[in-house]
Amino acid sequence: MAALTGEHGISYDARGLAEPDAAVPRVSEISGSSAVFDAKDLTTRQINLELRWLLYEQGITDVTVKNPGSKHSLGVGILTRCKITFEGSLGYFGCGIIDGPEIHITGRVGWSSCENMMSGVVVIEGNAGSLTGAAMRGGDLVVKGRVGARSGIDQKGGTIIVLGSAGSMNGFMLQRGRQIICGDVGHGLGDSMYDGTIYVGGKVRSLGIDCVPGEWTDADTELIERKFRIYELGAPPELQKFVCGKKLYNYDNLEPAERKLVL
Amino acid sequence: MSDMAPHDIGYGEPEKIQSIDAEFLAGHRFPYQEDISLIEDIDLDAATPGADINWLEDIHLLIEEGTPAVFDRYSNAFLKIYFPIPADRENEIARKVLIKHLTSGNSYGIQLKEKHTKFPQPELGPWVPGSKTVGTDYHAPVLEGWEPPAH
Repeated sequence: MAALTGEHGISYDARGLAEPDAAVPRVSEISGSSAVFDAKDLTTRQINLELRWLLYEQGITDVTVKNPGSKHSLGVGILTRCKITFEGSLGYFGCGIIDGPEIHITGRVGWSSCENMMSGVVVIEGNAGSLTGAAMRGGDLVVKGRVGARSGIDQKGGTIIVLGSAGSMNGFMLQRGRQIICGDVGHGLGDSMYDGTIYVGGKVRSLGIDCVPGEWTDADTELIERKFRIYELGAPPELQKFVCGKKLYNYDNLEPAERKLVL
Repeated sequence: MSDMAPHDIGYGEPEKIQSIDAEFLAGHRFPYQEDISLIEDIDLDAATPGADINWLEDIHLLIEEGTPAVFDRYSNAFLKIYFPIPADRENEIARKVLIKHLTSGNSYGIQLKEKHTKFPQPELGPWVPGSKTVGTDYHAPVLEGWEPPAH
């Protein structure tokens, strides 16, 4: 319950909007281009306001957030190059819609972390919930634990690396990008995928519709070895490659405007 | 449209543009679309987060209306490339042209930020350090003569 301390400060207006008048708490200890603040007694909105104040207005490029307390929607909408460390775990929808940051989360994350990520790096030391990297468009998402179901659903770019196992329907409607799952995966891998590549190191319970084994190339080896080297993940396991069979959906014959949606 | 009857103009489908490219949005071409020397010195690793090319991994040279082009997702438009592209450097050149376009502030989506963005953010996004913050004083547009309902 200690993690909920800050939530007692949340106010709602008549429309049901949470904290419509929240102010930047300005509680950080700033040293040069780095800053540290304790989020224990802050609400979600206050934490995000503090982050943006530091990054956009104070010229800070390296922020450490202590005691995030598994609050939801932290670190969202950060659109600049910077480093952020969350010392603890995040709740739902953490680090969504980011473009540029390099984020390190020392704990776990809930559902839908990094959804709609545009660019940057997110490294999660623990497990991640379902829908991790949903609709992700670019950048690298590294989960050192396990991920839940439908990770990378509607993924349109970027690389998701999972050292542990993954749940069912992983890569559902994958449209571009890559997933590297070192452990086992559940049923329906890559169901209805349009494009993209899924690499699996463990057992596949079952393949989804139109997900088929792919031919390994030198480019696959280069990508895997480069990503494992960058994130110091050790030697990569032997991986199977899966791609779209192109029997169900693909973008080849669609209108130009629709093709743009996945570029 | 000129040979259509007034009735057709009034009730017909509006003219549709199949592809909106960066030149159409800007009204002119950019020098780096025509001169490879303007993009050769761009460091793609330095221009992107992390230790490699990060999000540029998904950027490839495409063809738009018969011309080599790179897609700018920040304005939903193709940026055509008119200079000869050396063999085996297609994707590298496409990525460099795109980064030049974004860091120059010429992407149409970036130009809309000053007026329309609702929340504070760096104008030139993650591509240029220290760019000014826009969106700090957003006011929703008000339709002249409109008043909110009484209830």
